[in-house]
Amino acid sequence: MRLVFKKLNVLRSTLNAISMSFEMKEILSAAGGNLPNLFDFSSFGIFLRDGRTLHLLEEESCSTSFTQEAAKNVLKVFSILGGEAIRLDRIDLQVEKRNFRPGQMAMNPQAALRSHLTLPLAVEGEMIGCIALHSDQPNAFDAQDLQFFSVIGYQISSTLKHVQRFSSVKDMALYDTLTKLYNRRGFEERFAMEAQRAFYSLTPLSTVIVDIDHFKRVNDTFGHPEGDKVLCEIASVLKTCVRKMDTVARYGGEEFILMLPQAGLEEASMIAERIRRQVEERRFDVGKAHIQMTVSLGISNFPEHRPRTKEDLVRMADIALYDAKRSGRNRVCVFMPRSR
Amino acid sequence: MATLREPVEKAPGSADLILNLYATLLQDTWDIVSELIGEAILALLLASSLEKVSKKYPFLNHLKVSEEGISWKELRGQSRSLSPSEMHRGFQSLINHLFYLFSAMAEGVISRELFPKVFPKIREAERLLSQKQG
Repeated sequence: MRLVFKKLNVLRSTLNAISMSFEMKEILSAAGGNLPNLFDFSSFGIFLRDGRTLHLLEEESCSTSFTQEAAKNVLKVFSILGGEAIRLDRIDLQVEKRNFRPGQMAMNPQAALRSHLTLPLAVEGEMIGCIALHSDQPNAFDAQDLQFFSVIGYQISSTLKHVQRFSSVKDMALYDTLTKLYNRRGFEERFAMEAQRAFYSLTPLSTVIVDIDHFKRVNDTFGHPEGDKVLCEIASVLKTCVRKMDTVARYGGEEFILMLPQAGLEEASMIAERIRRQVEERRFDVGKAHIQMTVSLGISNFPEHRPRTKEDLVRMADIALYDAKRSGRNRVCVFMPRSR
Repeated sequence: MATLREPVEKAPGSADLILNLYATLLQDTWDIVSELIGEAILALLLASSLEKVSKKYPFLNHLKVSEEGISWKELRGQSRSLSPSEMHRGFQSLINHLFYLFSAMAEGVISRELFPKVFPKIREAERLLSQKQG
């Protein structure tokens, strides 16, 4: 009776720790810190179908072959329980070792998987993955273990549901819902890191601000929904014109900003000119009309323009954009120090 | 929703007898397994088993599962038009599939609790069916 009470207390604190978690690593760590007080096991796994990730928390003395066996078992049971069949070489296996057992009770390096408990993780009636306990001992788990483990699985499922909701709120804070590009805040978070890296390592970093010419006319003539379609189409042109390492964001209204790491002025100008040309050559379907649109672009560069801060770099691109607008639009201008 | 916890209706036809027998059997299964793994996971497993087995035995589509249990109402409305042996085979297939899932998840842990109660009822269904056919 005393033992059950003790276990219930551990279960309560495990559930509490899991429910306070905000990401997978925290869930794993919360579970990992408490599970050895509830079960005698060799490894604990959480598999999530979405990211195809299998997190295994293992006793330090687990052999590589045991790890492989445990991982294969999780995927096998997942497919039997109604998920799709997934091969071990198609998943991201993340193993964390912990010392669950005293040294004299370390696992035999030849130890094989002898028993397991695997339960589906379900969110709103949909199976999103599974959790598993593995042991090198036969019949290591009983009905009470299964009951406790189910309660833990239920808590993990509901915490994951909250984590997913939290992630979508976070996404909304960093991405523009219309164009799916980064929004200003998302850009600034990435830009802060990249600018710091560039300033410290003295590697080039270019910034390009893009503004759609006479965009207000589209909204006024065809209405905002048609204007939104133009914004989305230009966003997709921007994405196709940049390199994989570049960041494209909607900076506000009809203004976009690009961050081009390791790009000198020449390369940044080539990318900007490519964007200008592709927009100019395109015909945009607006209502029943096909219209031509143009963009103006301003470029700044570190170290060429000697910005002292990341804000300077953006301000210089903005000044260059102003030059492009003033000198007739549909053109690319590079920041000129004299125009400071 | 009519659930497994409803009193089993007395019905004269052999299809109804088979239905009542399996309703009791699945009620026992629900009671035992939900204590071990909880209603949410059990409902998920039962729904996926029904989806799979009803491809061969479409009458099982009339069973509806939720975390509160299984609704038999729709199936009871159809039972008179079903062959008892077809029903028996369908339910047997469902039970076998569930046992297979339980065993894959927890090896013997669930089966050890479940088997002593469920197995005699399957035998009872077989006996009843052979008597009717005889």
